Amino acid sequence: MVGIKKSFPGVKALKGVSFEAYPGESLALIGANGAGKSTLMNILGGVVLADEGVVNLDGHATPIHSPADAARRGIAFVHQELALMPTLSILDNMLIAAFPSRNGLIDYRQGEALCREALARLGYDFNLHTQVRDLSPGDQQIIEIARTLLGKSRIVIFDEPTSSLTSRERERLFEIIRYMKSQGTTIIYITHLLDEIFTVCERAVILRNGEKVAQSLVRDLTRDEVVEKMIGSQEVVSYFQHHVRERGPLLLTVENLQREGYLDRINFSVHRGEVVGLWGLLGSGRTELFRALMGLDQITGGRILIDTGRGPHPVKPRSRKNPMGLITEDRRTDGLLLPMSIRHNLSLANLRSFISRLWPFIARGREEAAARDYVRKLNIKSTSIEQRVATLSGGNQQKVVVGRWLQTSPLLFLMDEPTRGLDVEAKAELHSLISELADSGAAVMFVSSDLDEIMSLSDRFLVMVRGRLVRELPRDSTKHELLATASGISSTGGVSEP
Amino acid sequence: MKISEVLRTEPARPDEKTSTLNRDATRILRLIPVGMLFLILVVLSALVPYFLSVNNFVSILMQCSSLGLMAIGLTAVLITGGMDLSVPSLMSFSAVIGAIYMRAGGSPVVACVIMVLVATGGGCVNGLAVAYLRMIPFVVTLSTMAVFGGASIWVTNGMSVTGIPRGFITTVMHDIWIFPAPVVVLIVVAVVVHLFMTRSLFGRWLYAVGTNIRAARVSRIPAQQVLFGSYVFSGFVAGLAAIVTTAWLGTAGGTIGSEGVVLDVVSSAVLGGVSIYGGAGTALGAFVGTIFIKLISNTLNFLQASYYMTLVVKGIVIVAFVAIDSLFRRR
Repeated sequence: MVGIKKSFPGVKALKGVSFEAYPGESLALIGANGAGKSTLMNILGGVVLADEGVVNLDGHATPIHSPADAARRGIAFVHQELALMPTLSILDNMLIAAFPSRNGLIDYRQGEALCREALARLGYDFNLHTQVRDLSPGDQQIIEIARTLLGKSRIVIFDEPTSSLTSRERERLFEIIRYMKSQGTTIIYITHLLDEIFTVCERAVILRNGEKVAQSLVRDLTRDEVVEKMIGSQEVVSYFQHHVRERGPLLLTVENLQREGYLDRINFSVHRGEVVGLWGLLGSGRTELFRALMGLDQITGGRILIDTGRGPHPVKPRSRKNPMGLITEDRRTDGLLLPMSIRHNLSLANLRSFISRLWPFIARGREEAAARDYVRKLNIKSTSIEQRVATLSGGNQQKVVVGRWLQTSPLLFLMDEPTRGLDVEAKAELHSLISELADSGAAVMFVSSDLDEIMSLSDRFLVMVRGRLVRELPRDSTKHELLATASGISSTGGVSEP
Repeated sequence: MKISEVLRTEPARPDEKTSTLNRDATRILRLIPVGMLFLILVVLSALVPYFLSVNNFVSILMQCSSLGLMAIGLTAVLITGGMDLSVPSLMSFSAVIGAIYMRAGGSPVVACVIMVLVATGGGCVNGLAVAYLRMIPFVVTLSTMAVFGGASIWVTNGMSVTGIPRGFITTVMHDIWIFPAPVVVLIVVAVVVHLFMTRSLFGRWLYAVGTNIRAARVSRIPAQQVLFGSYVFSGFVAGLAAIVTTAWLGTAGGTIGSEGVVLDVVSSAVLGGVSIYGGAGTALGAFVGTIFIKLISNTLNFLQASYYMTLVVKGIVIVAFVAIDSLFRRR
């Protein structure tokens, strides 16, 4: 691929990336969140069209218009989120893009033979009529890989393939990749788990902020060098003037929080007046942790203790006594009531306070006053409190969500990627807000994939890897330490057990 | 970034003024029923002698009372984004049970209570299935419609229940000022429910759940309880409709909740501006929609159109309204 450029509204995802890959090798594509790895591969896989640049296959410029087009040219993409249909059989899933046919009807006999052969090459013998949903994620992935073999793919892209695999299944995957290489297939392996690269790839391309910053043989690199290149300068782009706050009394203690398959024995505590950055890479379970704390997902073990001044006592996440507010990752799908007014959205979590015993209806006057109050406090730019929230800008929408929780005076704010999709000004306002909230005695825990942002704002860091809270890091940690911890490497250079 | 995120990255948008179009559009949509109602009234008063008389209006309202009650009940369910096809069947079943009780010598007052309780019980069944078993409303209420509808015919051996005490009929049908009691009940229920939905906690929760159930859950709204409650309410109102219908007809039979009635109930709500998609609509709107439907029926009757023609017309009108609603939502 040569000179690939791609921009999305508001962000330059790729700024002119070029690289080569050869048959029979496995090329690692490495980068932090948002570096552009997935976008680059989406272009190769036909999911997205590049703004500029050329894809060359066998030396010939080859425009790729769609995933089907890419498949025709022998490019297969095994996505991080498996693209199988759970209620269909293995056979149907494997053949779905191209059923062999005879006289207009599906030739299942031929299809079965082809599938069996592909699976046998990988060393498997499944009952082809099993429904895919009855298979483990590892086995499902085998089906996807076998599917690529059917299509005689020459290039196979793996996007974070091991995120839902057991270590045995991972070993098996590596075996399969070795086999595929021996057949002359080119593998492009996207990951941020550095140890895997050193196990299974020959060369590596490192992306940062949409640019290629390194390309080398894997054996010429050390892990530390890779991390260095991923983060660039050790300097933190300071978003925000952080000031040291005095940490208040203990507020929240989480003991052995467990959610089967997603969260594994999480223990931590949060004090009033602090901003805790919850850091980790995609898929580490940060959003799941927030959802569990709010009671949106059922936990299978552990407990949550809140201390409001009279000692810690356990609180059920779903109960109204839980003094937490959650600002979700995607305000459009589960944060806002888009067709409704600002007033409506602001009061949503706090309606009970507008009702009195005598008059069981919502006191419109008080509701309006509260809405106006928060619009003013948060500087929400709008024509009136009756304006439909769908018509506000992203930053203002986010402020509405924050305002909604502010009305309930929570003691702990959980914010999941609060500044995603916001322009610079709105981001700055939100950063100030987070700091003010902590200053006023509340606690804020926030998730951000922007390393600079999370480093600017947080008083300390909790790092998650694959559903476990692996370390707590202090404010003065370096970018290197944060990234290394999140990638599963401890600071002594060894591997922390995932 | 995952693919889902790539597609989700949103443009930085300045505050838009163009979207007032959308707001005006929805307001227009809500006013259409009233406007068309007015239009039809004008047309009818021209076509039909004595149309503009008080007697006639009262008579129309009386015809609307059972249907209107059911439409109001259905509105609560529709607002949450659900559907309740079983309302007329619940009505006929509870009416039959109550009537049998009275025929066997029971007191009319107790019979009314029985009707309401039975219908509410049916609503609970719907609510349990949809809210707690997470089943699809359409399928659940289709089944309860079959069960209760079939049961009401089975229990009566297909014959109407007669022998209803005169006392019952005269009490229920007595006049309050110029209006028969059922009309008053309809108007009172419409007003009270409207106020409740637009001003109370539960009402807000209804609209929130119907607009975006995920956001509602995050905001600590007990979404499952709200869903359950909407079906229970729908059942309760069907019980009220049962009382009214039994008194008006003087009998109760499996046929009073026949297939055509479901179409009328849903049409009334939809024509009254209640959105099939959830999150919009009011009880007063459903009330207006009911009158509208009745007038359409009456007009077609007057023009001597066959029953089947009226079905065609009603069907077209529903599709047209839902299409307009859908178009405006897309914007």
